[in-house]
Amino acid sequence: MRFLRPLVGPVSAVVVAFLIGGLLVALLGQNPLTVYGLLLSGSLVGWANLSVTLQLTTPLIFTGLAVAMAFRAGIWNVGVEGQMLMGALAAGIAGYALPVPAPFHVPLCILAAAIGGALWAAIPALLRVYLNVNELVICLMLNPTALLVTGYVATHPLKAPGPTNKLPDILDSARFTNYSIFSQLNTGIFLALAICVAFAIFNRSTVRGFEWKLIGLNPRFAHYGGIRVRRDVLTIMMASGAVGGLAGAEQVLGVYGAFYDNFSPGYGFDGIAVAMLAGNHPLGVIVAAFLFGALNSGSSVLQMELGISKYLVQVLQFIVVLILAAKFSFAFLKRRSPDDRVPPASPVPQSGQSHVTET
Amino acid sequence: MLSDIAYSAIRISTPLIFAALGGLYTFQAGMLNIALDGFMIIAAFAAIATAFATGSLTAGVIAGVLASMLLAAFLALFNLRFRAHIFIAGIAVTFLAYGLTALLLKSVLGQDGVFASDQIPTFPAIQIPFVRDIPIVGPLVSGHTLLVYVAYLSIPVVAWTLYRTRWGLRVRIVGEAEDAALAAGIRVDWIKFQTMLISGLFCGFAGAYLSLGYVSLFAKQMTNERGLIALAAIFFAKGRPVRTAAVALLFGLATALSVRLPQVTGAAPQLLQLIPYLVTILAMVIVGIRTTRDNAHNGGWRFDQ
Repeated sequence: MRFLRPLVGPVSAVVVAFLIGGLLVALLGQNPLTVYGLLLSGSLVGWANLSVTLQLTTPLIFTGLAVAMAFRAGIWNVGVEGQMLMGALAAGIAGYALPVPAPFHVPLCILAAAIGGALWAAIPALLRVYLNVNELVICLMLNPTALLVTGYVATHPLKAPGPTNKLPDILDSARFTNYSIFSQLNTGIFLALAICVAFAIFNRSTVRGFEWKLIGLNPRFAHYGGIRVRRDVLTIMMASGAVGGLAGAEQVLGVYGAFYDNFSPGYGFDGIAVAMLAGNHPLGVIVAAFLFGALNSGSSVLQMELGISKYLVQVLQFIVVLILAAKFSFAFLKRRSPDDRVPPASPVPQSGQSHVTET
Repeated sequence: MLSDIAYSAIRISTPLIFAALGGLYTFQAGMLNIALDGFMIIAAFAAIATAFATGSLTAGVIAGVLASMLLAAFLALFNLRFRAHIFIAGIAVTFLAYGLTALLLKSVLGQDGVFASDQIPTFPAIQIPFVRDIPIVGPLVSGHTLLVYVAYLSIPVVAWTLYRTRWGLRVRIVGEAEDAALAAGIRVDWIKFQTMLISGLFCGFAGAYLSLGYVSLFAKQMTNERGLIALAAIFFAKGRPVRTAAVALLFGLATALSVRLPQVTGAAPQLLQLIPYLVTILAMVIVGIRTTRDNAHNGGWRFDQ
C-alpha cells in the first residue's frame, strides 16, 4: 500500500474542499447532495456531457503540466496564462497566414505556438538567471501585458473584418480533427496526454530529469554537484512556456478556429491549481485536470438547472490549493520535532563520544 | 480637455493609491502580498451589498473594510500559522475571492454579471470653500467625493507611521533583517500579521470606493488588475510611501489617457494600458543590473534565494 501514500494529501484536500463547498451551498439555500449529484451527472453521464468534460480537461492538462514542470524545479512560473496567450497568437497567425500543404500545416502551427510560449517565458527566465530578478513578479506583470499585446494585435493590425475582435479564421489545413458533435473535443487531447507521458518518462529515466528535480530541491547543492543551474533553469522555464503555448495552440486550432481577443477564462491560473493537486507529477496532472475539467463542465449544467453560479467550482478549486499549500507546512512542522527545535544551551559531549566532532 | 483628464486621473488613481498604501505595509515587512485584488473585490462586494440592503453608505464602507480585513486575516493565518507559501496562498485567496463574489452575486443579488440599482446611495461631491475658487487648481482639487480625499490624506499618515514611529521602525526591521528582529525580541509574526491587517484595511477602502464611489455598481472581477498595478507602483518606488503614491498617480494618469486618447486620436488603448507593467519590468531590470554589477563575482544567480 506504500504507493498510495502520496495520494493521501490530495484526496483529503479535495474531500475537505467539497465539505466546505457543501456547507456554502447549504448556506445559499440549496441541497448540497442535489448540487453534487448534478455536478457528477452533468459532467460524466452520457457522451454529450463527457465530451464537454474532455474538451475542458485538455487545456488544463497543458497548463497544469507547464506549471508542474517549473514548480518541480523550484521556479515560480505563474505566467502560464501569458505564455498560453502568446502561443495562441502565434498559432493563430501561422494558421491563417502561411499557406502550407496540409500534412505540414498543423505541426508548423504547433511549433509556432511552442516557440511563442517559450520566448515569452524566456523573459522572466533570463532576468532570473542573469539579473537575479524575482521571476514571480515579472510573470505576474507579463500576464496582463500578454493580454494587452495580443488584444492590440487582434483589434488593430491583424483584425479580421467584422465586429468581433479576432484574427482571420485559420485555414482548414491547420484545424485539429473534431471528435464530437456535442463539443469541441479534438486531437489536442492526445497531444496533451502524450506530452504528459513523455515528461513522466523523462523525469523517471533520464539524468536530466533527475537534475531538474535536484535544482528544485536545492539549487546550491545542484550547483556544487556540477549541474549547470543557470542553463538548466533557462531550459526548464522555456520548456514550461512551450507547453503553455501548446495550450494556446489547442484552443486556436481545435476549439475556436481563430485567435479571439481575451478568449481564455483563466486556464493558466487554473493550471496552478492542477499542478498543486497533482503534486507536480506529470501523470497526476492528467487526473487533476480531469477532475477540474469535470467540475467546470458540470458547473454549466448546474447553472442552467439550479441557478447556482458556475463560480462555485472556482471556489472549490482554490480551497483545494490553499489546503494543499498549507499541507507542506504541517510536514515541515512535523519534521522539526521539539527535540531539535530547542538546542541545548551548552552542548555536553556524551560519554564515549569524541569531543572533536563538536564544532 | 486637459483639466478634464487631470480631474479623472485623480479619481482613477484613488483605488490605486489606497491599494498601494495597503500593499506598502506588507512590502516593508518583507511579505509580498499579491492578494490585493482579492481583498479589493471582496470589499467592493460587501460594501455594495450592505449599502443596498441598509441604504447607508457608512455601513457599506464599514462592511467592505471588515470583509477585506477578514480575508487578510485569513491569508495571514495560512501564511504565518500554517506556513503556506505567501505566493501560492495569495494567488489562491485572490481567485477564491473572485469566485466567491461571483457566486454570491448570482445567489444573493440574483445577477449574472453586473449588479446595479438606483436604491444604492451615492457619495455627494464635496465642494471645498475658497479652494474651489482658485483658477486652475480649484476645480481639480475640489468637487471630489469623501473617499478621494481620505486616500490622498492617508499618504502622509502612512509615511509618518512607517518612518516616525517605533512601530514603523519595527516593521522595517522585520522586512530588512528578520533574524535580527527576532534576536532583538520583536514578535515578527505579530508585526507581519498587523501589516497584513492594515493591508486589508486600505484595500477595503479601495474596494468600497470602487463599487460605491467610482461607479455605483458591482461587476465580477471589477478590480481589473488594479491590485497588480498597485503592486507595480510599490515595486517601482521600492516601497517609499510618497513616491509610491506619486507613481500610482502617474499610472492613474496613464489609465485616464488610455480612456480619453483613443476617442480623440484613434490610438489603441491597449498600448497606454501597457505602461504600468512595462515601466515596472524596466525598473526591476535596472535594479537587477545594478545589484548584479555590485556582486559580479558570483554572477546573477544567488543560490540562497
